[in-house]
Amino acid sequence: MDIFVQILLNSLETGGIYALAALGIILIFRTSVTTNFAQGTISMFSAFFATIVLMITGISSILAAVVGMIFALILGILVDFFVISRAQKVNPVSKQIITLGLIMIFLGLAPMLFGTDPLQFPRFIYGSHSFFGATISYNAIFNIIVGLILMGILFFALQKTKWGLSVRATASNDIVARMMGIPTASVTRASWAIAASLGTLAALMLAPTNSVNLSMMDTVQVTALLACILGGFTSFYGAVIAAYLIGFASNLISFYISSIWSDSILYLLILIIILIKPTGLFGKKVVKKV
Amino acid sequence: MDNMNNKVLKIENLSIAFGGLKAVDDLSFDINEGEIFGLIGPNGAGKTTVFNCITQFYKPDEGKIYFKNNKGEVEDLVGVKTHEIIGKGLVRTFQNIELIRELTVVENVMVGAHIDFKASLFNQFFRLKKTREEEAKIRKRAEDILDHMGLLAIKDMLTAGQPYGVLKKIELARALMLNPKLIILDEPAAGLNDTETLSLVNLIREIRDERNCSILLIEHDMKFVNGLCDRICAINFGKLLAIGTPQEIQKNQEVQIAYLGKEDD
Amino acid sequence: MNNKLTNFYKLHKPYTQFLLFGIILSFLPLLVSLGIVKYSLLTTVASILIYSIVALGLNLLLGYSGLISLGTAGFMGMGTYLTAFITADLGLPFELALIISVAVPMLIGVLTGLVSLRIEGYYLAIATLAISEILRKVFIEFDFITNGFSGKQAQYPKLLGFLQLDRNGTYILIVFFLILVMVMMHNLVNSHTGRALSTMRGSEAAASAMGVNIYRHRLLSFAIAVAFSALGGVLYMHFVRYTYPNAWILMLSLNILAVIVIGGIRSISGTVLGAFIVFGVPDLILKRLPVIGSIDGAAYIFNGVLIILVILFYPNGLINIRYDIQRNLRKLFKKGEEING
Repeated sequence: MDIFVQILLNSLETGGIYALAALGIILIFRTSVTTNFAQGTISMFSAFFATIVLMITGISSILAAVVGMIFALILGILVDFFVISRAQKVNPVSKQIITLGLIMIFLGLAPMLFGTDPLQFPRFIYGSHSFFGATISYNAIFNIIVGLILMGILFFALQKTKWGLSVRATASNDIVARMMGIPTASVTRASWAIAASLGTLAALMLAPTNSVNLSMMDTVQVTALLACILGGFTSFYGAVIAAYLIGFASNLISFYISSIWSDSILYLLILIIILIKPTGLFGKKVVKKV
Repeated sequence: MDNMNNKVLKIENLSIAFGGLKAVDDLSFDINEGEIFGLIGPNGAGKTTVFNCITQFYKPDEGKIYFKNNKGEVEDLVGVKTHEIIGKGLVRTFQNIELIRELTVVENVMVGAHIDFKASLFNQFFRLKKTREEEAKIRKRAEDILDHMGLLAIKDMLTAGQPYGVLKKIELARALMLNPKLIILDEPAAGLNDTETLSLVNLIREIRDERNCSILLIEHDMKFVNGLCDRICAINFGKLLAIGTPQEIQKNQEVQIAYLGKEDD
Repeated sequence: MNNKLTNFYKLHKPYTQFLLFGIILSFLPLLVSLGIVKYSLLTTVASILIYSIVALGLNLLLGYSGLISLGTAGFMGMGTYLTAFITADLGLPFELALIISVAVPMLIGVLTGLVSLRIEGYYLAIATLAISEILRKVFIEFDFITNGFSGKQAQYPKLLGFLQLDRNGTYILIVFFLILVMVMMHNLVNSHTGRALSTMRGSEAAASAMGVNIYRHRLLSFAIAVAFSALGGVLYMHFVRYTYPNAWILMLSLNILAVIVIGGIRSISGTVLGAFIVFGVPDLILKRLPVIGSIDGAAYIFNGVLIILVILFYPNGLINIRYDIQRNLRKLFKKGEEING
């Protein structure tokens, strides 16, 4: 029982990290019609920035995370301004390749600006608590709650605010949305900014258990993309639920089967699920017009 | 099924809905062998949807589509894979011309005989005898068809930049490559001027007479349809209004109200 | 008659060009032994040629099926480990190793394709990304075959059981395979499968109406791409004679994509040009420059920026520069004539 509770608690934390990253990917997919492969790299880059700021100024890790997220916001805006907004007429495949080019640029810039050594990013809060025989750190509780709150805000914003309506309109039909007077360009820009920021938070939540290094987001990126597929790539909810499910499965597999192979087994499992249910767990079949 | 003696296509109770909206509703009609058959109706009546159901781009919710294939067997096309349709002897053209800009005219036409190519991948990689023979044979067939249409001179040009009327003819040439039993034409005369339309009417008649096939077409231009078709089926909101000869359809009141009604305004 | 001649010319001209290119490349070992160029240049050029082979396969996938694979490095790495295991550990002949080391990755590729190609195109990129992560894990953890992080060694190939090649011989073998792959690609693109792929790219509706099985052709182009990746891996293993897990990371797959995009999508010569730019320029030029040369990530940034610039401003790739120059020159001449006339 206590082991299961422990796994459940851990899953809430890892699932939250995957969900934040996945939300960023879906947000960009729905406004820019491309799968953003650079999400993880941009997050890694901003996490490095936050860590360097923390090391130089000695501010608290929470403050450093806020600085990192603001940095990511700006980075997202710059990426959209210099690259994505100029690629509106580019076909979807080339757009994907552009995001792959972004990986190369940021992965090249990171060691140049921040060095090649892995850096340590401290936890947000120290201490831990016993809970049904399982221990959970306050930091994990903090991460779980902050993640949930941010997702709550995002979902509220998507449903109730003008921006959310614009995102959904842009997503369902870019041209019509523009004709209806929705500023699709700034909606897209905001989406890139928010996505980068969410990813950065995910990176910094992950950082204390790992370290801040060039490949820190590799697994998160792959997992988040797979979560998006499982969620059907159409719904924000689907991706988030899939992310938590994957987080849970990942912790189960590492505990009961193998921690070395947990990611590999998980990827294979997801691919098999996709083979059986091609449109994802929650996706709908779309009829293409000829 | 047994009364398909001189019919090539027989559609029974065809229905398909998109999100609750019935695009085709309990539609039935049949096409005789050697017939030029027109499907008319106002915009949004479901004409192209009918075509897409016959060629299995859409899977109909209900109904049967019996087709007498080129072996003379009658079979229901519902559930057949889209890419297997052409092999049964049924081929279509598209409302917005779907030719490939990067390929030459003759190459585009050769694509129409794709399923006649049997050379293996290995054979193609090294351009062995079988590949060369097939290429030569089918290129000749494509050139003959282009010659017949008076397009032989442009065979090695790219399709990009060719005039609209020529593109329509190239697409028609591509559809002829396998000697189909039934050719489905989606608005063949749209965008053509009067001379081009007239030459198209003659071309379609010629194709029917020489190749002994049937033709099903959608068209807005009533003059074109009346002049060309043996029989016409009029539909509106996915439902059948009337089937008959052009004269009968012109006289039909329901058709007049639904489709030609504007003339009274 | 005249017509026939032009056809023959059109069809056979590339063969001569490819052959000529191969002959020119074959002179490189001679130049090295005469001391005219540096010893290390042979290694650089050999790896560029190997990456050209890999990229030619991927160009079919990207250029004609509009699909992205991020598993290129993984499948290449698999080729290296398999051939090393078969020749060095099992002591079996090079030819057998070549066949198995291409066939096994192809099989895994087809399985990956079966999963992802049925649905949306962009699923393949994600599925191959996941597969390449798994493969890298295998390279690290299956240390009884792969030696883990310490890497694995193999020898120069012995052909037909008796012809032991040296460094120069292996280089010539690589040149041979590159020219072979160029010819094969040229033939395929100009045969019915190539036309079917082109049609698929232009209009999926037209392709399926003409009887092209889209799923099968996507799978086919992916299988070919994987096969050439693995072939590149085999050649790499027997030339460099060393493989280790960190050689087969995502960055390599991205560089191969860069080769195609920068050089010229759907172009054979463009792909080779792209390989020289992506893998040659950093090695031969960037590293020699002051300041920039000492920066680690300079090559990545160079290629990343170039990819984006090419897609935005020159989407058909740098190989088309020559046509544009020709066209502009012709315009210039015409203007001159008009002025003179």
